[in-house]
Amino acid sequence: MATTATTVTVGLADILLTSPLIVLFLFSLLPLTIKVLRKNVEQSPTATLIEALIGLSLAAALLIIFGAGESALTTVPSAFNGQLLFDGLTKWMGLIAIISAAGGLILMYENPATRGNQFSELIFLAMNSIVGMLILISAVDLIMVFIGLELMSLCLYLMIAMSHEQKISKESAIKYFVLGSFASAIFLYGVSFIFGSAGTVNIYELISQSAILVKTNKIFLFGTVFVILGFCFKVSIAPFHAWTPDVYQGAPTPITSFMATAVKAASFAAFLRVLAAKPLVGSENLFTVMQWLAVITMTLGNVAALVQTNLKRTLAYSSIAHSGYILIGLIAAGISQGSAFGAASVVFYLFSYGLMTFGAFAIVSLIEKNENSIVQTDDLAGFAKSQPLLAFCFTLFLLSLAGIPPLMGFFGKFYLFSAAVNEGLMWLALWGVLNSVISVYYYLRPIVVMYMKDGDCDIADISHFGTTVSVIVAAILLVVFGLFSGPLFDLIEKGLG
Amino acid sequence: MILTGIIFLPILFAIVLTIWPQQSTIRPLALGFSVIEFVLSLALLKQFDQGSSALQLVEQTTWIERFGISYFVGVDGISLMLVLLTTFLVPIIVLASWNSISEKIKGFHVALFVLQAAMLGSFLAMDAILFYVFWELSLVPMYFIVGIWGGSRRIYATIKFFIYTMAGSVLMLLAIIFMMTLTPEVTGGNISASLLDFYKLNIPFVTGDFFTPQTLLFFAFALAFAIKVPVFPLHTWLPDAHVEAPTPGSVILAGVMLKMGTYCFLRWVIPLFPEATEHYAWLFIAVGVIGIVYGALVAMVQADVKKLVAYSSVSHMGYIIVGLFAMNTYGVNGALYQMLNHGISTGALFLLIGMIYERTHSREISKYGGLAGALPLFTIAFIIVTMSSIAVPLTNGFVGEFLILLGAFEYSPAVAVISVTGVVLGAAYMLWMVKRVFFGPKGEIVTVAEHDKAHALHDLSFREMAVLAPLIVLIFWMGIFPNHFMNYSKASVDFLIQNKLNYQLSVVGPRAVSQNTAKVEEN
Repeated sequence: MATTATTVTVGLADILLTSPLIVLFLFSLLPLTIKVLRKNVEQSPTATLIEALIGLSLAAALLIIFGAGESALTTVPSAFNGQLLFDGLTKWMGLIAIISAAGGLILMYENPATRGNQFSELIFLAMNSIVGMLILISAVDLIMVFIGLELMSLCLYLMIAMSHEQKISKESAIKYFVLGSFASAIFLYGVSFIFGSAGTVNIYELISQSAILVKTNKIFLFGTVFVILGFCFKVSIAPFHAWTPDVYQGAPTPITSFMATAVKAASFAAFLRVLAAKPLVGSENLFTVMQWLAVITMTLGNVAALVQTNLKRTLAYSSIAHSGYILIGLIAAGISQGSAFGAASVVFYLFSYGLMTFGAFAIVSLIEKNENSIVQTDDLAGFAKSQPLLAFCFTLFLLSLAGIPPLMGFFGKFYLFSAAVNEGLMWLALWGVLNSVISVYYYLRPIVVMYMKDGDCDIADISHFGTTVSVIVAAILLVVFGLFSGPLFDLIEKGLG
Repeated sequence: MILTGIIFLPILFAIVLTIWPQQSTIRPLALGFSVIEFVLSLALLKQFDQGSSALQLVEQTTWIERFGISYFVGVDGISLMLVLLTTFLVPIIVLASWNSISEKIKGFHVALFVLQAAMLGSFLAMDAILFYVFWELSLVPMYFIVGIWGGSRRIYATIKFFIYTMAGSVLMLLAIIFMMTLTPEVTGGNISASLLDFYKLNIPFVTGDFFTPQTLLFFAFALAFAIKVPVFPLHTWLPDAHVEAPTPGSVILAGVMLKMGTYCFLRWVIPLFPEATEHYAWLFIAVGVIGIVYGALVAMVQADVKKLVAYSSVSHMGYIIVGLFAMNTYGVNGALYQMLNHGISTGALFLLIGMIYERTHSREISKYGGLAGALPLFTIAFIIVTMSSIAVPLTNGFVGEFLILLGAFEYSPAVAVISVTGVVLGAAYMLWMVKRVFFGPKGEIVTVAEHDKAHALHDLSFREMAVLAPLIVLIFWMGIFPNHFMNYSKASVDFLIQNKLNYQLSVVGPRAVSQNTAKVEEN
């Protein structure tokens, strides 16, 4: 591909397909432009947020209309010489990323660490980070994957560093930046090996050969391992997870939510695409190692979460554990022969995971009184008394994370583990269910504190309308998509098939 | 539609109570609701055909088509009486909670109704995933009931309860998923989670080899249910949960929740894995017998009345396990009957202990003594319930234990002999406790009450009599006319025992129109 792509033609179909990205970029400029025209006087954050949300909804609508080859104008679902592919996976993962990112933006608007001046810059960065996510999700060329990854991450480093908070967020921004760049470099290094041995970095051209190449060509195997390592870092698979607790804890809560949901979903989508090239089928060792990574990630995340006292850190370790669950689905998708079941279970799980993780972080964000506040689990005492509705929603999020039926989190796990059993990975599913028992302990603890201990925890006395509404919407969706998970799953599976 | 009504009406009640604006009328309203539910379940009794072993009043609608999961409920002789036990106990619990639950009244009743719906759902669900949803859902309200309204170590107890039960049930979920992947063999290509399709599966059993499908599946299911029952040595969550739970919580836990475990042995384990059950029956009989003797011995040395009754539960549940795994008509009929008896008599014991605790704020046996003189009516009620608990003839406990012992004798005389020592021990610890609490020299509490007007003891109030009367009536009714109750379950139980190796449930409508109707009719 790289050799033939000398003549680049850009047609209407390319523009239409990438219109979600273009729209997002244009809308990201809007608040900044207004600020410039007004001689460095920022418009009200409310206007900025509304513009951003309009941009996101437009992008989502365009993604649905033109994505997945459903429109007559875009019969071929790939844009720019097959660099970006707009198939069912792009559509669904793009929607999940956009929805969770929208939630993150609403939190940013109302959290003390991110509201106030420079809000338009923050939104600009966030929107461009979402553009990066969409590139990452739709890229079929490993170089494009890298561009998407970097665009997304660079914006994120800045967003963390921009916080009004004094020390920890700067520290975590640096930590994230250094380690993230290191992982990106490893990823790129791996890509160069793949190009050297296979002559292409296009994932769909690799599908036909990678299963054989990983077996016969050591250099290709080396490259594949490095690419996978790069992703493992981004989605915090143990033992590449060490940055996650520190960064999640140090970053302002809305940005943590943004990272834990949208960024993770986008990275997993690209990871899924790479594994869809079937490197796992070819290399028995790689397959074994990936399974052990899943087991270690789940167990480490859950066991470490047991001993945390800081609520955000607990959620960070829980997010690591959930990466392990999702990796089970990725492995099932990576070895399945022509069935979209495993991939669909991953997408479904990421959707449920996005909703419940967003919800949990939104509650933390509501409780934070100022930019330096630290929320410990024990600080939740009395929350059920002062905010019964929000406490109930939080309970739903935590029970869903723990996988208690009939919430969406349970069905997400059910589909993941079914996909694993379907592919004969019974023992992985066994680790998965045993881990969900461990996780119950720390998911129950905030509920214990909220309902069974006396205290005066309340939400911060600042505007919280948007956050409250989005929390309630997320909770309702968790119940609805839990009780009626079948149609949604069918839709996803059909889209990916 | 009656079964759907029975399952979801409590959810509706819970929603109504949540938005009900008046705090003061919550209690009468909840009582009214629970009585409506009980009346509805009596209508179910009326519609039930007791001569048939079929699954009756079936309703089936597709839920998650991709996995053949459906909303599939039905009732047969095995589940019918447990449904009635549940709907019967809830009004009593609501009435009994008027003194013991003094704060967050609304939340308590909401949790109680959600719990009721989940328990009824687990008894009536005929689809594996639907069942699992209800089974796990029942943990959440119970968790709150113990954790919010419980005693001083409530948080420890409630988390232990939740994690123990969850640990057992996740393996069951995996087993369910695995069995679902096997179903295409019997449904002609479609994956299915229907229990009726599971019954058709022929899972190979290899004697002596542990790592074979049927044996592993058997233990995955059996572990989940054994923890819930609880079978010795998995019982340690029970005394904690019982002691810390508020009175209504203890009653529902002992009365209904433990029965979910024993019921599921009958509904799931025995018909699905008959060879494995038969092969490993000795193991369960053994832990059952150990549970009987161990529970009784530990109960004997308890200083706390509530703990004593909690350990007596371990002992009584041991009988039920022995009866079930004897796998003959006497044993299983007796076990099913004993499930009801234990629900009524232990439920009543917990209620009585709650009543005395409200008066004296103590459960120490050593502080009582001579209570009979101060509280004559209470003493009479307590002694009647004790008689039922130790299986004196003419009370319900006698019928159940006698049948179980007959079944155990048929299985092996040695088992019966050891189990009988449990009867003797049971009589010993209960009567000894009654003697120390009600008779003998006046204890600290009675002495204080006689001298201090502020601590005077009042005998049963009208409300408390209303709480206990239905239970006492049932104790004698079930003891004198066991056939009035057993006739409902006999056909189903006998059918199960005779056909356990190739168990197929036939189905009798009325049913909802659905895509799966054709599949149901084939059966």
